[in-house]
Amino acid sequence: MVKKVHVIVGVALVGCLTTSGCAAGGVPAKDTPKITPSTGGALSGEIKIWSWDVAAKALRRMAPEFEKANPGVKVQVVDIGYDNAYDKITVGLKSNSGLPDVITLEDGRIPGYAENFPHGLVDLSGVAGKYRADFDQAKWAAATSGGKLFALPWDSAPVGLFYRRDLFKQAGVDAGSIITWDDAIKAGEKVKQATGKRLFVSDLTNPDMFTTLLQQLGQGYFKGGRVAVSSPAAVRALTLLKTLRDKDLLQNERGWDGMVTATKQGKAATQPTAAWWTGTLTGEMPELSGKFGVVPLPAFDADGVRTSANGGSALAITSQTRNQNTAWAFVEWLLARKDNQVSMMRTEALFPAYLPALTDPLFDQSQPYFGGQRVNRLFADEVRDIPPVELTGDDAQAREVLKTAVSGVLLDGDDPKTALDRAAARIASATGRPVGG
Amino acid sequence: MKRALVWLAAVAGAAVSVIPFYWMVVAATHDDGELFASPPPFLPGGELMSNLVALESTIHFSRVMATSLWTAVVYTALSALVSAMCGYGLAKYRFRGRGLLLGTVLATMMIPFQVLLVPLFQMMASVGWVDSYQAIIVPFLANSFGIFLMRQAFLDFPDELLESGRLDGAGDLRIFYGIVLPCVRPQLGALVIFTFMAQWNAFIWPLLMLNSEERFTVPVALNHLIGLSHVDYAGLMLGAFLATLPLTLVFLLFQRQFVSGLLGGALKG
Repeated sequence: MVKKVHVIVGVALVGCLTTSGCAAGGVPAKDTPKITPSTGGALSGEIKIWSWDVAAKALRRMAPEFEKANPGVKVQVVDIGYDNAYDKITVGLKSNSGLPDVITLEDGRIPGYAENFPHGLVDLSGVAGKYRADFDQAKWAAATSGGKLFALPWDSAPVGLFYRRDLFKQAGVDAGSIITWDDAIKAGEKVKQATGKRLFVSDLTNPDMFTTLLQQLGQGYFKGGRVAVSSPAAVRALTLLKTLRDKDLLQNERGWDGMVTATKQGKAATQPTAAWWTGTLTGEMPELSGKFGVVPLPAFDADGVRTSANGGSALAITSQTRNQNTAWAFVEWLLARKDNQVSMMRTEALFPAYLPALTDPLFDQSQPYFGGQRVNRLFADEVRDIPPVELTGDDAQAREVLKTAVSGVLLDGDDPKTALDRAAARIASATGRPVGG
Repeated sequence: MKRALVWLAAVAGAAVSVIPFYWMVVAATHDDGELFASPPPFLPGGELMSNLVALESTIHFSRVMATSLWTAVVYTALSALVSAMCGYGLAKYRFRGRGLLLGTVLATMMIPFQVLLVPLFQMMASVGWVDSYQAIIVPFLANSFGIFLMRQAFLDFPDELLESGRLDGAGDLRIFYGIVLPCVRPQLGALVIFTFMAQWNAFIWPLLMLNSEERFTVPVALNHLIGLSHVDYAGLMLGAFLATLPLTLVFLLFQRQFVSGLLGGALKG
């Protein structure tokens, strides 16, 4: 019995070693497969794309146009749902089977996949390099790992400060005069005094707001490969949150549902979040039409950056594809063309990461929901300013550790510097990276 | 006094288990906006039909229910048969390595499914079963829990009955179907309830295996209602509510079998 098992394993191993691909074994190939630029000629074949939510809707709407322009090509879009999409993608990468030609990935997920499955996604730098200057630099950096480009950026998520016009008016505060976070705190105190509403909604048990503020200061959890969650910028970001908390200006609500509910019920005067929040506002609370406005995110210093990023996706080509050329042609056609990006902004409100699209007159339309404000112009102008930060495959692990640190500071009153020093040490021992930077 | 306390505890227990279910009904009959109002609605609303129409148009709920139903029925029937036959073999036949085989069956119960996910996925991919119905039915037909349950049921079965069957000239299959199986109806009923529920609620495996929307089962399809910046709660609640109906039906149907089998045994004894 035992001997037999040895023989079987031996045969399987030899089989794996002699056939280079070894599809069933999932033995990683050494190098990231590089895309070979097309040698011309007509595209052909069928490609499959996994996506979710409005992104899937956009793909479904656009695919027939691509098919029309390229007879013989079929594009099949599968909506795999957002909530467990990454379970499917991870198992597909891990077992090196079952994945479609193209997958949708959120920016934060790309480095993890790039590092853990370097053979799983196709390096696009050879064919996409020429577009580098045309895309949101923060997103381009997020999709790049070790000099390779693992996905082409799709939609950007510039962060601004949404505010309630009625509450600000009631308190006699001009939202336009808010330049720095100090101004925001002062405005928040005034609004709270007049209306009883806190400044904004935040889930104090998760580090997302801290992460957004940290990116505003131009930094991620790691810097030059070293753990940087205790850097001066990180301490500054967390101290700001602590100040807001100490002045009782944060409306603590649990998770996404808490934030939507609290906003709908008008529990907070502002919300620092990304452009896609407009979709949630118009979709979930149409009755609040005319009550919201947007100003750029308050800066840390008077001349500081007035935006950050929160979300956004990209399209990646898997190495399991048998039709690289058609897959790339579709991705390029969809994302690196002004008309298509504008069309997806118009219909699905996917904010283009492709900079040339942002000059379209569409962005200058006034939005009745926002009291006639041209909010898309404001966000479009912010895309170029989003600070690129270093993302790594260890970010998910770091985030887990930061949960404790952030909630310790905001809920239990820990000192930001002490808490972040402790978090940095824990992340260092968990990831094997040195602290510093 | 003591009676009153027991009653109080019973009422509290009932409330705890009924309130979430009631809220599901309430949520299924309101639109999303009403759900987030404050205070939240306490009575069922009038949006049942519009939610139903929306659910049908977003995830083709009728098709999804049909898929879930037939795959769960086929799986339950086949897996109950396999469990009964294996359990019978392990309980009533003497052969070399029986103990080892039983040990192996029990050992597989202790392997967490997460460990099996990737190798099983690779197996399915190598035989070209990704995105097929057989992939969500076949791999779990030999259900170790079911085999063990049925083996225990057959253990108490008197050997004399088998022998008298054999003396009357019945073959092994005839004995199994004609004599043995009818006597373990209660246990079989319990197994059917259990396996149907497990397959009906199965999520992660169908999620991984099924890629085409026309093959989705209920849990996989409902999962699609949770979006990036929008969660369709009304649809989720309505879908979850409708999904409990077949389960209730199966439970009622086989629970009678279950109870009558138990009582029947009591009287005969």
